[in-house]
Amino acid sequence: MNREALLQRLIAICGSANVLVDDADTAPYLKERRGRWTGKTMAVVRPGTTAEVSQILKLASETGTPVVPQGGNTGLVGGQIPDSSGRAIVLSTSRLNRIRDLDTAGDTITVEAGVVLQTIRETVDRHDRLFPLSLAAQGTSQIGGNLSSNAGGTGALTYGVARDLCLGLEVVLPTGEILDDLNRLKKDNTGYNLRNLFIGAEGTLGVITAAVLKLFPKPAGVATAVAGTSSPEKAHELFRRARQAAGPTLSAFELMPRIGVEFTTLHIAGARDPLAHPHPWYVLLEISSGRSEADARTLLETVLGDGLQTGTVEDAAIADSGQQRNDFWRLREGMSESQIPEGGSIKHDISVPVDRIPAFMADAEKAVLAITPEARIVAFGHLGDGNLHYNISQPAGAGKQTFLSLADRITPAIHDLARRFGGSISAEHGVGQMKRDELAATKSPVALELMRRIKRALDPVGIMNPGKVILSD
Amino acid sequence: MKVLVPVKRVVDYNVKVRVKADGSGVELANVKMSMNPFDEIAVEEAIRLKEAGQATEIVAVSIGPQQAQETIRTALAMGADRGILVKTDELTEPLAVAKILKGVVDEEQPGLVILGKQAIDDDANQTGQMLAALLGWSQGTFASKVEIEGENAKVTREIDGGLQTVSLAMPAIVTTDLRLNQPRYASLPNIMKAKKKPLDEKTPSDYGVDVSPRLRVLKTEEPEGRKAGVKVGSVSELVDKLKNEAGVL
Repeated sequence: MNREALLQRLIAICGSANVLVDDADTAPYLKERRGRWTGKTMAVVRPGTTAEVSQILKLASETGTPVVPQGGNTGLVGGQIPDSSGRAIVLSTSRLNRIRDLDTAGDTITVEAGVVLQTIRETVDRHDRLFPLSLAAQGTSQIGGNLSSNAGGTGALTYGVARDLCLGLEVVLPTGEILDDLNRLKKDNTGYNLRNLFIGAEGTLGVITAAVLKLFPKPAGVATAVAGTSSPEKAHELFRRARQAAGPTLSAFELMPRIGVEFTTLHIAGARDPLAHPHPWYVLLEISSGRSEADARTLLETVLGDGLQTGTVEDAAIADSGQQRNDFWRLREGMSESQIPEGGSIKHDISVPVDRIPAFMADAEKAVLAITPEARIVAFGHLGDGNLHYNISQPAGAGKQTFLSLADRITPAIHDLARRFGGSISAEHGVGQMKRDELAATKSPVALELMRRIKRALDPVGIMNPGKVILSD
Repeated sequence: MKVLVPVKRVVDYNVKVRVKADGSGVELANVKMSMNPFDEIAVEEAIRLKEAGQATEIVAVSIGPQQAQETIRTALAMGADRGILVKTDELTEPLAVAKILKGVVDEEQPGLVILGKQAIDDDANQTGQMLAALLGWSQGTFASKVEIEGENAKVTREIDGGLQTVSLAMPAIVTTDLRLNQPRYASLPNIMKAKKKPLDEKTPSDYGVDVSPRLRVLKTEEPEGRKAGVKVGSVSELVDKLKNEAGVL
């Protein structure tokens, strides 16, 4: 089928307003935020119903047209961007944005793939519920993409990652068949768990069109603090003690280096130094309580007070208002963005077992500085769940391109180290196009072969997000 | 010089306020409460005066329920020296608050009272002015800068169209505007120390003040939601709508 005929069929399915072909209209879908990946497309289609998605995929299978599913376009590994051939269509889920059901008795919400994460959080908040998935891009990212990439974020410490928060899915398969598995059950042992195939598949097996998500009671109170500490060892020690004292109510534990705090206070409006004097490392920690804010606060004061006495904490500030809590989080959330004005940055999203973080960081620093002694290491992230964003900013005043070309040496060094420490080279961002070849080179052959068999079984024609995650042959 | 800083416990700035189902007021059950942001600025200014050697003691006073004690503790953790809680479960109005504060001033004899220009719950913007009138003191409201010069306080005020600088004979009243300073975070060691600072409890009757409300709330309702926008097809349609629907042309 030629291009024109295919476009006419697509228009017949979703209407001409929802088949975008003009460069100006398609441009925002073809470039990710940092401008790292760009692609071309025949058309961006925006179906409004699951039935329309089904017809589109059936058509794509018949014509062998590649389909790149895309949510809020906030992915960091290029999974949502088509290749440069211009053969693929981008399937945007943004019009699948209905909240189908909110069940406050069973604590679930049923949403379509295009609902923005923040909208879900705000909707359930009005009913005194919590949807704990929380990440910097939540104002734009959509739940379909969050599930497809099995997003992590700051709530993973207590509540788990996207996979742990999903009870059921509705998925359109490449054939156009609709898998209706919108389960609201905690317990359901009836054969293979199919939804877990699609969560984390990054759109290579089908298109998630709706999901049932788990909700939790909204904590009655939250207490938030920033603590200054001298080293990752001390931060880890504080984590162990906080976790012991607060158990699952320790709802955030984020590590930030001094240089990251400096970048953020310099470049992010409204961010300021949380403590009177500088400290080599900072921890943002949060304790929640089902009883009261005073309850959370008392526990937080006890944990930090012990830390002061035992020397794991040098100083700390506790938020006295919602505004101050936002200030503290702005420091952490601005950590990534504030690297942009500082020039080139080589980024890694690794995880290692929590107890090995201090040793990993010491070795990683040595490895990086051996390659580029003036580099500025901005290693921050979810210390509580072992996930670090091990980013390296260029030396001040150095050439950006020269520095970025060092990625060929720095990234393998960091990833080798992560593996040696029993870790992962993609903790929460996914594989996409960025890490596909590295995955192929380093994952066990048995695992890779199983993945290929699954891919071939579900997507025999190979139309779903080709070139991402794994090559089918 | 002693500085008196009144602090009010209000619904936190970041809370989306909800009207009670029966329209009798706003929902306060399980709602996060914090110090009125303008009062935080007042506390910070007092601490800066003390750090500059111009104030010797800072007394934080709050009028409200038992939990208002937490608001005073916050002020103490920031750097105030002691607190006074005037306990009442009534919803207090500015005049009653000003009368109680006058009683506190009579007892404490501060050289300066620094108040927030208004509280973000009722937005009354009256207490400072009423207190100045009751005391017969000078007042510098909406301050964006405060300098102590001998017996006078030089206060830069944010007024419509610019800044006005006034010199007040002390003792005097200052109310704070947003740009006066950026309040500090309470540090952990100071939070611990604050627990040991003295906090006196009083009642309105200690000052001979009747706090029963003089206003009766008839009804509380949500503001009308914003209507969704429409796309116009042409300039003439836009002009037509501006003329005939919006009535702005």
